[in-house]
Amino acid sequence: MEPGLLKSSDWPFLIDLYFFLGGLAGGAFVIATIANLLDGRRYRDVVRVGYYLAFLAIIPGPILLSIDLGLPTRFLHMLMVSKPSVDIGMSAITLGPFHLKLFSPMSAGAWALLGFGVLAFLAALDVFLEDRGGRSIANLRVAAGVIGGFFAFFIAAYPGVLLGATARPLFISAHWLGALFLAVGASTGGAAIALVLSLLGGRTRESLSQLMRFTAFALIIQLATLVLFIVWVSSAGSVGVSHALASLLSGPYGVVFWLGAVIVGLVAPLALQFGGVIKKAAPAMVALVSVLVLVGGFIVKYVIIAAGQVVAS
Amino acid sequence: MARTLAMFTDVSLCIGCRACQVACKQWNQLAPEEPEWTGTYQNHAHFTDKSYRLVRFFEQPNDQGSLTWHMMSDVCKHCAQAGCLEACPTGAIYRTEYGTVNINQDVCNGCRYCVSACPFGVVAFNENTGTATKCTFCNDRIHNGLGPACAKACPTESIRFGFRDELATKAQKRVDELKKMGFKDAQLYGSDQNGPLGGLNAFFLLLGKPSIYGLPEKPKLPQRNVVLDSLLSIGSAVVVGLGALVAFRTRGGNGDA
Repeated sequence: MEPGLLKSSDWPFLIDLYFFLGGLAGGAFVIATIANLLDGRRYRDVVRVGYYLAFLAIIPGPILLSIDLGLPTRFLHMLMVSKPSVDIGMSAITLGPFHLKLFSPMSAGAWALLGFGVLAFLAALDVFLEDRGGRSIANLRVAAGVIGGFFAFFIAAYPGVLLGATARPLFISAHWLGALFLAVGASTGGAAIALVLSLLGGRTRESLSQLMRFTAFALIIQLATLVLFIVWVSSAGSVGVSHALASLLSGPYGVVFWLGAVIVGLVAPLALQFGGVIKKAAPAMVALVSVLVLVGGFIVKYVIIAAGQVVAS
Repeated sequence: MARTLAMFTDVSLCIGCRACQVACKQWNQLAPEEPEWTGTYQNHAHFTDKSYRLVRFFEQPNDQGSLTWHMMSDVCKHCAQAGCLEACPTGAIYRTEYGTVNINQDVCNGCRYCVSACPFGVVAFNENTGTATKCTFCNDRIHNGLGPACAKACPTESIRFGFRDELATKAQKRVDELKKMGFKDAQLYGSDQNGPLGGLNAFFLLLGKPSIYGLPEKPKLPQRNVVLDSLLSIGSAVVVGLGALVAFRTRGGNGDA
């Protein structure tokens, strides 16, 4: 692919922030669901914080996207629009004014955001009712958790698939971005729950240890998919691709990538976790590891999106 | 569906006068822009929201030890499999009954996904309207029996307009003619409906490899990645989900519960 011709979407910081919060929300939701299914009473703190965090982190999503589009009503066009029936692409499903395009990850993502938003609200509402001394509606929590879990995975991964379906040289030959973004969602979701629990204190040491174990596992998947992403891109071997890869791995973005995404986001937290944090789960150390994972998780998404959008002059 | 229309741009006839660029701006009432110094006669470096036709100039070292001067009037290719159209989440980008690709400005919500999904860097974002814009194949003209303004203005018939099947036959004849005249690298770009992107409805006759003209040799529809990328994401989801199950099944470090 020739580098000189292609244009960039010039997506601003808002989009990176949405992708990060969406991933975090998805990760926290899945963790809460799995903890709830295994033993809702024993992991009550993880379930509570997980569902609350998922809901709070997804609220800014539509707001950030609407700000980017300029007018709030414009976001609705992602879902519905009154138009004559025309050919709008392969596997487009239209029903009245509504449309879903299966091969447009942005279209599917908009629907998933709506679905996840509703289910994350229901799960958080159920936790809230219980907190207020009411009774949890167990069936609601399980149903919202399980169905929402699929949406949660989708919300975490789809931005990577969305990038892969552009002509940008760094993205079109990558293939692993969805898998990477999902792993980042899992690690940041786990870290966010662990951070809140470590700050709240109380009898949560077992939960902290398990969250650290899970986060360490997610970080290993994150590392593996990051390596696979780079290997896949570099094996594509065209001029445009090597330019794009060079802008990610060296130069100004290279510093951010190696320092932020690799050292702060992967090496340091993994070293701390296997150096005793998983075992002892001291709240201060858990908080430190969690902050590193969150910062690194944001940076890895930010730097890949930014470097991939650089246009050769 | 009506018979597919096409534009055929023959670079061997282009004299770089840019009448097409001017005619396009006039007919489509595209606002003036600050000129951009690119080091050649080319202005601008890329398609913009106010330049839908763009004459590109290239210099290439030749066997005689000097430079060959290439010029090519570039335009939206109206791909049979269009990355912009597939990417568009709003349905604003649609295919007309003539096979051309158009952006409905009332529906476009300015997400800019199409801008990065175009394999040729054609679609541009208009900051004033907050929408994506590109060549419309002079949609108003072709629906009223006229050809696109650029083809009408071209003084050398380098840009030709007509039914796709007829133009493709003419184009092939022209390639054979040029080869007899000694232009051994003359070739068509995008005329083959079984080729990349299902063929381009604005196709080209080039006097050398596509890369000389900055065109990708084998443009790929970006949405072809969706299935594989999604499957890998599902794989990652399964691994992460199992990881969570194992992590919460195992007792924590100090095990005070």
